[in-house]
Amino acid sequence: MSAIIEIKHVTKEFKVLNRREGLKGSIRDLFSRDYKTVRAVDDISMSIEQGEIVGYLGPNGAGKSTTIKMMTGVLEPTSGEILVGGNVPYRNRTKNAQEIGVVFGQRTQLWWALPLIESFRILKDIYQISDADYDEMLKLYQSLVDIEPLLHKPVRQMSLGQRTLSDILAAFLHNPKIVFLDEPTIGLDVSMKAKIRTLIHALNQQKHTTVILTTHDMGDVDALCQRIVIIDKGKMLYDNDISHLKQFFGSYRTLKIRIKGDLKQYAEEITEKLPRCSVSADDEWISVLVDESQTTVMQVLSELQKDYKIRDMQLEEISTEEVIKKIYEEGVK
Amino acid sequence: MNLKKYLTLTRAGIIEALQFRLSFLILVAGNLLYLIVTYFLWKAIYASVETDTVNGMTFTDTLIYLVLATALYGFLEMYLVWEIGRNIQSGKIVLDLLKPMPYRRYLFWSYSGSFVTQFFFTFLPTFIVVSVVTHGAIPLGINLIWFAVSVVLAVVINFSIDYIIGTVCLYTESIWGINIIKQVVVLLLSGATIPLAFFPDNLRTVVHFLPFQSIYNAPLSLLLHANPDWQTVCSTLGLQLFWAAALTLISAAFWNRSLRQITVNGG
Repeated sequence: MSAIIEIKHVTKEFKVLNRREGLKGSIRDLFSRDYKTVRAVDDISMSIEQGEIVGYLGPNGAGKSTTIKMMTGVLEPTSGEILVGGNVPYRNRTKNAQEIGVVFGQRTQLWWALPLIESFRILKDIYQISDADYDEMLKLYQSLVDIEPLLHKPVRQMSLGQRTLSDILAAFLHNPKIVFLDEPTIGLDVSMKAKIRTLIHALNQQKHTTVILTTHDMGDVDALCQRIVIIDKGKMLYDNDISHLKQFFGSYRTLKIRIKGDLKQYAEEITEKLPRCSVSADDEWISVLVDESQTTVMQVLSELQKDYKIRDMQLEEISTEEVIKKIYEEGVK
Repeated sequence: MNLKKYLTLTRAGIIEALQFRLSFLILVAGNLLYLIVTYFLWKAIYASVETDTVNGMTFTDTLIYLVLATALYGFLEMYLVWEIGRNIQSGKIVLDLLKPMPYRRYLFWSYSGSFVTQFFFTFLPTFIVVSVVTHGAIPLGINLIWFAVSVVLAVVINFSIDYIIGTVCLYTESIWGINIIKQVVVLLLSGATIPLAFFPDNLRTVVHFLPFQSIYNAPLSLLLHANPDWQTVCSTLGLQLFWAAALTLISAAFWNRSLRQITVNGG
């Protein structure tokens, strides 16, 4: 298989005005020529094959969206080379647009006042989708999710979840080679997240579409991605398959419990009882980091319940931020 | 076949505009209010002079001109600068840039739907009312054809001017002030608020060399003269054609140049 996206040593710099503080500073800023250069993306290289789902991770401001904007052709890289489906995206933006689909979690490309089906019809015409392909796609959608009630609903009346779902369907409508999903599950409830993951997975399987997914939710990554790229502060930290990364986060979960009394003291007791877990306490919670390859959360919980009256509990997946922290601490080979 | 790609946007614009029934009513009411103010203002102006005609226009002439200018305004003004500015500030422009057609065309055709609805819902009714009330003061003949051609060119010129101003928003990342300046300049120098006949001679000469008078003054003067001679028709339409072509080229080039500089919000 040949690479559909080829990125070689790409760097993107922005010029930002150095802002001064206060009223006086703001007035002086009006005449200022004092720019500083911010390097949003720093020497990134990767190669993505047709049909892959790649999780593109990193904390806020890491340069994820900037990279995606360069791949879509909205931004021009300061240096380096990008090829998307054989095109240089920023030179052939319009041509490139025909081959890609985009969803930016916070915004919609749908026609706000119109029912979804009208948006689909407009997209059908502007992407020049043939009747046969269009019908086939709608049939496929129908088999994957129950779109009938959505089709005749104006987009402005949709819930965030329905709208995101519709936006994803719209992005896949012209059967693009690549779909960019920028935080598609942001702000959604658990069942909607699951629905959207299933949908993305199915579309990827059926249409062999390459999917580039940015997210802060490790659940998305777990459910969808075979491969993960992590960047932070514009630099690439990690590019490998997910099983490799599992050793850093996959088997860890944090169990948080609340017990009445002095938490610090209990934490020490628990540490003695559970030598394999690392335990810490703050004002409200006792946190137990459980390595699920060694023991299960349920075992730990029942162990604790023998001795303590647990008033409340929470279970937390390890977050991207923690993964990155761990990568920094332990390094990746 | 290729035209379908664009006409679908026109269709969408029409459906979209029809969704908001209430805004139509408010628009009509607002225009009515403006017309009442205009009526009394010019009545006072004509009352203050002894003669029936001022600068070669009678009170009725002036009023017909201004009523039709207001009706034209209804569909020429498309608040494009706002739209571009808002899209830049919110970052939505990224999605529009990723449509498989140049942004300029995408915008133009997206707005074309509202030309159609505004024409039928504001201009045509006003035109008919004025025609009936003034007992045929508007000549109905070949001038209607010249007018139609002239309006199409006016739309193109106005769109290009808005597009140029919208492009400036890429640099300033603010809209309000720039848009207000643009509106005042265009409305005044195009003859939309005061007929050009009332301008001092020097200013009128200057205005004739500017593109703005091609937007309102040109179509309206073609409409209100029953049998304009060939020379007038040719020079008016010719000048409009020149500006339409020139401004289209300038606005497209300016946008393409500027787009390279954008730093679309967020990273």
